[in-house]
Amino acid sequence: MDDEPIVRWYWIGDHLGYLGHLLADHALLALPPVLIGLLIALPLGLACSRFPRLYQPLSAVLNVVYAVPSLAVFVVLIPYTGLATEASVMVPLTFYALAVLLPTTVDGLRAVPEAVRQAATAMGYGPWRRLAAVELPAAVPYLVAGLRVAAVASISLASVGALIGRGGLGYLFIDGFQRTFPTPIVAGIVLIAALALVVDLVLVGARRLLAPWAVREKGAGS
Amino acid sequence: MIRFEGAGKRHPDGTIAVEGLDLEVPTGRTTVLVGPSGCGKTTLLRMVNRMVEPTSGRVLLDGTDVAELEPAKLRRGIGYVIQQAGLFPHRRVIDNIATVPRLLGWDRKRARARAAELLELVGLAPDLAKRYPFQLSGGQQQRVGVARALAADPPVLLMDEPFSAVDPVVRAGLQDELLRLQSELHKTVLFVTHDIEEAVRLGDQVVVLREHGKIAQLADPHTLLTAPADDGVAAFLGRDRGLRGLGLRPASAVVLRPVDAGLRYGNWELALDDGRRPIGWIDRAAASADLHPAAGFRPEADTLRTALDAAVLSPAGVAVALDADGRATGTASREAVLAALPALPAPSALPAPAVDGADGADRADGVPLRKDGAPGTPTVSQTDSRADSRTDGAAGGR
Repeated sequence: MDDEPIVRWYWIGDHLGYLGHLLADHALLALPPVLIGLLIALPLGLACSRFPRLYQPLSAVLNVVYAVPSLAVFVVLIPYTGLATEASVMVPLTFYALAVLLPTTVDGLRAVPEAVRQAATAMGYGPWRRLAAVELPAAVPYLVAGLRVAAVASISLASVGALIGRGGLGYLFIDGFQRTFPTPIVAGIVLIAALALVVDLVLVGARRLLAPWAVREKGAGS
Repeated sequence: MIRFEGAGKRHPDGTIAVEGLDLEVPTGRTTVLVGPSGCGKTTLLRMVNRMVEPTSGRVLLDGTDVAELEPAKLRRGIGYVIQQAGLFPHRRVIDNIATVPRLLGWDRKRARARAAELLELVGLAPDLAKRYPFQLSGGQQQRVGVARALAADPPVLLMDEPFSAVDPVVRAGLQDELLRLQSELHKTVLFVTHDIEEAVRLGDQVVVLREHGKIAQLADPHTLLTAPADDGVAAFLGRDRGLRGLGLRPASAVVLRPVDAGLRYGNWELALDDGRRPIGWIDRAAASADLHPAAGFRPEADTLRTALDAAVLSPAGVAVALDADGRATGTASREAVLAALPALPAPSALPAPAVDGADGADRADGVPLRKDGAPGTPTVSQTDSRADSRTDGAAGGR
């Protein structure tokens, strides 16, 4: 690798279409699990907030899942989801997203000031209605902060899927290592970072839109 | 009317919050529960809207046991204001105020129109409607909290230390505003505070509580200040309760020396400008013609305490009586101010201050409340500066 330059630009020029295809594949592998994770985290979080006893066991299970190395999870799931299918990558990623999003949802709901909660009760909100109409909207900055972490983690983790045949941009790393050819590796790193950055910016924009009142309260968000 | 009948609260761990209280909260009046922390006053307040369920006895609202009413429905009919205002951070001011009307099923347009009315009622500028709570000062937030509690025009208003978290100047403004609102709206107000000053100022009836919600004394503010039931209540009232009692008496009882009768008191002479506004006191015995601040009071708006304060502050020992435009209408020496005391009926002979009765009118007016501009005098008068700061408070402290 001594004479090999870090980047051979002609290779990038020759593979633009290929890189674009991998980028799209990567985004489609990494982002839907975050969305699905959110859709599961919201009702679970609401339930945990209403029935606090649920939270401990649930978060314990999710933490254990989160602690298992991603490659191991991918491999374990192959018998159920098949080799090189979307599901074999997306199911674990959904669990990872959930492991990040459930605590942020619960924390966000808990962070609603006691005075706000009591005022809502005193004005005649029932427990569920209060959760949906007052506590959940007030928790939006926390949810977005959780989504940012979950999305970036998912984008980064999805590349591991390349080892079982579905990894989007992750394939570039395997390719580069096998051929001792750094250009695809660099291209993969740059594209993954760019994807993460764009998604992050979109989420920050979403927060501005959904919670304009939280702009000043930086501490509540990130 | 709210009626506590042996209402008690024992926590599951056996500790007693309230032992069993009998109390009537009359319709259209302000009843203040005051006592040290841990006396159970907030617990009592929350029994009314079922945020706390009594473990013994019951609470009746216009004759109906609240335990028979569905909590959410009951609460929509009772205004509730708490210490930190508890505004919904994600809703604009207008939609915060419209909360209960919306819960009652009003359409958005009607609820917002009502909210806009209330914004005005509590003395906030219409352009605050579109702001979010974090963009308001503490005093403004509390006003929005009061507006939100009043939005569906509930007959009963529960207030749990609503003004404790704001600074004293803003607090005084909020108290004035509540007195003004109450003189217009005649709500049945149950107000909780640990501040005896506030209790005496706002209450038609003050209930001093000891631990476990035992009533140490139930009286109108006059009686409370002049005849505390025991040493414990006297200690709670503090040392200068006599002076504070002056704050409950209207300054209109002071017999004034008319301006035309002379402005000279010993060596001191009061100088007026062309508009009869006081400029200051001049010491005729001194070589220089230095002006000394002339403190004034408004007989129709202020209390005896303000009048005495003005007389004490004046170098001549004389307070200047002012009309609404800051023009001098007369003067009163310290002796003249104090002479107003026996002219009033003995406190025990005073009926409980009524909101709609003559006494109530006196009382509502008896608290300095000035919306008009400050008098255009070059002198800094104590009364004026206080009245001004209160007006600032009324504007929301910003």
